[in-house]
Amino acid sequence: MDLFRRRTRRPTLELDDIQATLLRARPEPYFGTHAIIEIADQAAGRQLLRRLAPLVSSAARWDEPQSSWMALAVSYPGLVALGVPQASLDSFPANFRAGMAARAERLRDTGPNAPRHWEAPWGSGRVHLAVSVYADNADDWRSTVAGYERELRDLAGVRLLSHQDFGATGFNVFGYRDGFSQPVVEGSGAESLPGDGRPIKAGEFVLGHPSETGLPLPTPAPDVLGRNGTYVVFRKYHSHVAAFNRYLRDNAATEADRELLAAKLVGRWRSGAPLALAPEKDDAALGSNPRRINDFDYADDPRGLRTPLGSHIRRMNPRSTKLEVLSDVNIRRIIRRSTSFGDPVASAVLADDGADRGLDFIALGARAIDNVEFLQSEWVNSGNFVGLGKEKDPMISLQDKGAYFTVPGTPPRRVHGIQSFNTLRGGEYLFMPSLSAIHWLAG
Amino acid sequence: MSEQDLQSRFQTLPATVREKVDTVLSDAKIALKLKIAEILSDSAEQADHAVTTAGRIGAKSGEVSELTVIMPLKPNGAARLRKFFSLVSGNLAGAGQVGTLHNMRFVFLDNDTKLLFATAYDGEWDPYIDDFATKIPEFMDYLFSNVEGWPGITSPAVKDFITQFQIPAEAWFVSHPNVTVAEVNRLKRQDATVQTFLGALN
Repeated sequence: MDLFRRRTRRPTLELDDIQATLLRARPEPYFGTHAIIEIADQAAGRQLLRRLAPLVSSAARWDEPQSSWMALAVSYPGLVALGVPQASLDSFPANFRAGMAARAERLRDTGPNAPRHWEAPWGSGRVHLAVSVYADNADDWRSTVAGYERELRDLAGVRLLSHQDFGATGFNVFGYRDGFSQPVVEGSGAESLPGDGRPIKAGEFVLGHPSETGLPLPTPAPDVLGRNGTYVVFRKYHSHVAAFNRYLRDNAATEADRELLAAKLVGRWRSGAPLALAPEKDDAALGSNPRRINDFDYADDPRGLRTPLGSHIRRMNPRSTKLEVLSDVNIRRIIRRSTSFGDPVASAVLADDGADRGLDFIALGARAIDNVEFLQSEWVNSGNFVGLGKEKDPMISLQDKGAYFTVPGTPPRRVHGIQSFNTLRGGEYLFMPSLSAIHWLAG
Repeated sequence: MSEQDLQSRFQTLPATVREKVDTVLSDAKIALKLKIAEILSDSAEQADHAVTTAGRIGAKSGEVSELTVIMPLKPNGAARLRKFFSLVSGNLAGAGQVGTLHNMRFVFLDNDTKLLFATAYDGEWDPYIDDFATKIPEFMDYLFSNVEGWPGITSPAVKDFITQFQIPAEAWFVSHPNVTVAEVNRLKRQDATVQTFLGALN
């Protein structure tokens, strides 16, 4: 599916100062690597930024084909390690300064998702710099990775802590098309597609510009550091696809019934076709058509008879759903740049092979940290906002013992035995600086 | 029950509980000690009503949190607010739309120089303040602009501004800690359906 959006309006944002990843969708198929770097020495850290700065792509000409690009983000300990002045450090929001592990309670990252179970280097305080490379072909991916590895190699004071490759076709390891619904950023010039909703004020995604309140959201100081930057929430999930398949097998007798139950959990069929437009069975043509795949709302389905109120996509983007709690859905949008790792698992496979696979959930936005904390407590690990009590998101929540999912209908069907289908393995809050801020940080 | 009986019932409770009660309530009558020790020994009841934190500040029991602020009013702030409250006869019916408010009250203190605002609400401190800033900013600002120094609901400083006047409760009790406003709405709908069904059945 072609995810690139044409530019139909003149952009008003300073695209040549904004990192490409914020406005540029990843290609399909895609290849890439996330590298996590520790800055042990301030001078070496600044030197590394000076070397990487020319490799980081801007959003200028983001609508033109480009075979690969690089993105860079810094954690709070990373800013400290780079020697950012205290007044500037203090201008960052408290949850970013605390870091993801310290916010575990707020994020509902407890039990198996708690930081004490995370993989290294997550939660260690040593995650300073994240460098991601995205490419539409394997050759350009390898040469871009080789490019930054060269810059890293002879710098003694910086250490590569982890290196995770990703690559996929636009489908996640559960076998579902994923990652294609994005908010339209006002002033980006991007074409909006049917069902995208109205453009959202740029300040919701790019710091230093008016947000939905009419004012810019709190922006780190000085202006050269904060303006045109954004926040990044990185969460690495391990996916239990065999457990998902077993849940379907245990609760539906035929292949068609299993696929329908799965669609009720997700809100879409495997092709991406939404239940809202394809209530009976999958429609591959619809799923591969970017002009149709999001062209719906829930105005004619208040009870969730087609798309359950508790389904994953309706929770994460309620669109026109009337919520039980006064909420502004336009300030809860995030730009999603999640990537898959590991092999997908066929729906017939019921035994876990123990292999590593899952999703690096990556959310960008001026409110990304607040929003992921909001989503985790209000829309993922609770059902209160749509009158579903303690029922949770069927795909990404931490399920309690005895949890169930309700498929609305006459009568409704309560499907017991639902488990957590994704387990958190780590993550961090990051700040994605503008290109001019990278130079400022490099000193 | 005689003092003797109360004493012997007290002795049947776990020693750790008795010790704590004896130490803290050394000046209390045995009837009170027994009552408190019995409540402390009922672990299921204790767990149901466990007091946790509402996040930034305040106490939470189950799903329901408390918020009490005492804020300084501008000159004539109380008079201006009173005009509004008398227009609606003290009836804040529209607040039901927020969907998380169990109750709230506005009280003038110290010769109309201070405003006490207290509420019991679902969830935690942070999540929905941002929604107030884009969904009902006029209302929030009309009410609270009478407060000295109010930065405006859309100001980045507003959360810290409110927090500095908040006095967290030392003790907090909610009858049904897990029943949110949304749950009450659902249970009322369900009950109406059941009553209709029962009516039709006969």
